[in-house]
Amino acid sequence: MDLRLTEEQRQIADSVGELLANASDSASMRRAAFDHGGFDAALWAQLGELGVCGINLPEAQGGLGLGVTELVLVAEEFGRRLACVPWLESAVLAGTAIASLGDDAVAARWLPPLASGERIVTLDIGLLECAPLAVRRSAAGWQLDGVLPAIPAAMAASSLLVPVQVDGERLLVIVALDATGMARRERANLDATRPIAEVRLTAVRVDESACLARGATVDRALDRSRQLAAVVLASEQVGVAQQCLDLTVAHLAQRVQFGKPLATFQALKHRCAQMMVDLELARSAVLGAARELDGGPDEGRRLRLTTMARSLADDAARYCTQEAIQLHGGVGFTWEYDPHLYFKRAQAARSWLGTPAEWRERFAHALLDEAAQ
Amino acid sequence: MTDRDHDAFRAEVRTWMQEHLRGEFAPLAGCGGLGDSRYDPKLAKRWEQELARGGWVGVGWPKEHGGRALPLSQQVVFHEEYVRAGGPGRLGHIGETLLAPTLMAFGTPPQQQRFLPGILAGTEYWAQGYSEPNAGSDLANVQTRARLEGDSWVIDGQKTWTSWAHESDWIFVVARCEAGSQRHRGLVMLLVPLRQPGVTIRPIRQITGDSEFNEVFFAGARTEASLHLGAPGEGWKVAMALLGFERGVSTLGQQAGFEREMECLVEVARRNGAARDPLMRQRIAHAAVALDALRCNALRVLAQGDEAEGAPVTREAYIAKYVWSNWRRDFGRLAADVLGAAATLPDDDPLAQKLRQVWLFSRSDTIYAGTNEIQLNLIAERALGMPR
Repeated sequence: MDLRLTEEQRQIADSVGELLANASDSASMRRAAFDHGGFDAALWAQLGELGVCGINLPEAQGGLGLGVTELVLVAEEFGRRLACVPWLESAVLAGTAIASLGDDAVAARWLPPLASGERIVTLDIGLLECAPLAVRRSAAGWQLDGVLPAIPAAMAASSLLVPVQVDGERLLVIVALDATGMARRERANLDATRPIAEVRLTAVRVDESACLARGATVDRALDRSRQLAAVVLASEQVGVAQQCLDLTVAHLAQRVQFGKPLATFQALKHRCAQMMVDLELARSAVLGAARELDGGPDEGRRLRLTTMARSLADDAARYCTQEAIQLHGGVGFTWEYDPHLYFKRAQAARSWLGTPAEWRERFAHALLDEAAQ
Repeated sequence: MTDRDHDAFRAEVRTWMQEHLRGEFAPLAGCGGLGDSRYDPKLAKRWEQELARGGWVGVGWPKEHGGRALPLSQQVVFHEEYVRAGGPGRLGHIGETLLAPTLMAFGTPPQQQRFLPGILAGTEYWAQGYSEPNAGSDLANVQTRARLEGDSWVIDGQKTWTSWAHESDWIFVVARCEAGSQRHRGLVMLLVPLRQPGVTIRPIRQITGDSEFNEVFFAGARTEASLHLGAPGEGWKVAMALLGFERGVSTLGQQAGFEREMECLVEVARRNGAARDPLMRQRIAHAAVALDALRCNALRVLAQGDEAEGAPVTREAYIAKYVWSNWRRDFGRLAADVLGAAATLPDDDPLAQKLRQVWLFSRSDTIYAGTNEIQLNLIAERALGMPR
């Protein structure tokens, strides 16, 4: 396995990194998070123009047709800047789910506006437990009732992908979030950079044409998308860890106590070094996983690679965010300094798309249990 | 170079190992090295000579010195397949991977002609004379003295933690050749025969109960006046360059060894029921994927390899030693926990024996070749640019 990056891969990462360093610096990110509901529409438009919303989507549908490696390189920059855009939700999760259905007509209809960023699609990833939606057959299709308590990016999105169960069959339907009977309400969220809303469905009518897939295809595509997104999320966590390390090293260099910069104290240097150790190992894990996933490995390998990326990146994000607060001292506990934003993101990300412990248990089953052999 | 390009070479190594690591060499299969009670050094030397006849020593050396000049990626394949086939710990490692490149860079042609062939043929073995009782992490505090007397250097002092000195023929010694010199100045790197009256080798018993390393005492020991490597007074430069020659090529061979240890642990955990314990399952799964991450990190380091001679050390390279040694130490503790009471109650089960060995031996991984604490200093000061 060759982990060298191509010139093109470096350029994509650099161009997104430069854009976000300006457009999503601390002040802009905080404005989007706290004054604009966690969505920076102007930044989203810029990203759409760059092609970032369709990195791994087929070129035939307006995507760039690139791989997992490019996705993770870009994701690291998103995590590093806590960019307030529904990129993971729409471009990665919904986009991959639709593309994985293997239905050309569905792809041709739904992917081009998604890949350009024009349309934001989100999906139910089961963040909070809830009763399944009630589904009734109606003349032209189905009628849906129920509450989805925690849908990411639901305020910014225009459509929602939701799997439902009717007469013993799985369906994947797409619903306009402003359709009759749909109501959404933003939830209070300690990670303000990744907004979550409650979506209430009251006698919402879904016609046949809004059903994108049926049967086993539905869960296969959703699993595929969740697994890929878990690796992309891991890369965001690496970005979170990197920014915490950079902020901390910079703070220790300028803060003087006992007549010298804190950065000269060995006890503190070792803490920063340990942050870098965790972070770089996690980055190696994510890059290695992405590179191998690009080769289309079998299911057993995919499970192992995803578990690796998710586990190591979670370790790094948790450790680096916690250390950033501690090593900033008193100001690390203030709203004004950034570490708390990363600390909250790191925690929120743990429960997305399968916790690291859940991934490890799934992998442990494959590794240790006779029945799985 | 892709993995597929190496398929033929991989098969060549595998076949050679199958055909040669048997018969009289069968007892060496799967042995760790000195410190492993099953490891017979006399047989291990014959094995080194067998490898040499097969052309497997100095695979990365340039052709003019008798090597095969294989690219880095192919050297990696060799190390991986060697370990996968059960190849034992390499007695010639110090000569082949540390001294030889230093001889090529700093040695005179007569020195090269005299010493490289013995390393290449597996007939001469080398030990490393760096650490002293008062020069461990602080290597520049070397006190061993060397003075020119006629046609000889005369050496007095003491080295310690000298791995395999009792099985070696020669030692390279960092010594102070300018009386009254301080720290990094006034040092010389000398090539000294170990089998002489002025040298006494005393084994040190380790926490495993075995003796892999030694104290080496020099009392008027002698070597020829021409056997300094680099200029007298510039020993520090040579000593540091030597440490830099290990570019991580053997890391993936070591990785393959860790993967075998992991398989062994999984087998024991399944057998004794530890694999059913929810917390143990989390720890085992974490250790397995963290080991995969080490491999990714090593590949990231090597990705710089073929092209980046003299390029600055990358961040992934700075963490390499720290991450593998700490992974193994944690793995050792996990292995002991999987064993349960059998961790400290030895039995004849070879898998349990291997895990007990790893549990204890892994405590040295975070100490030798730069302790954890020195590694963190280097990472903070060199990789993160924090002030001294």
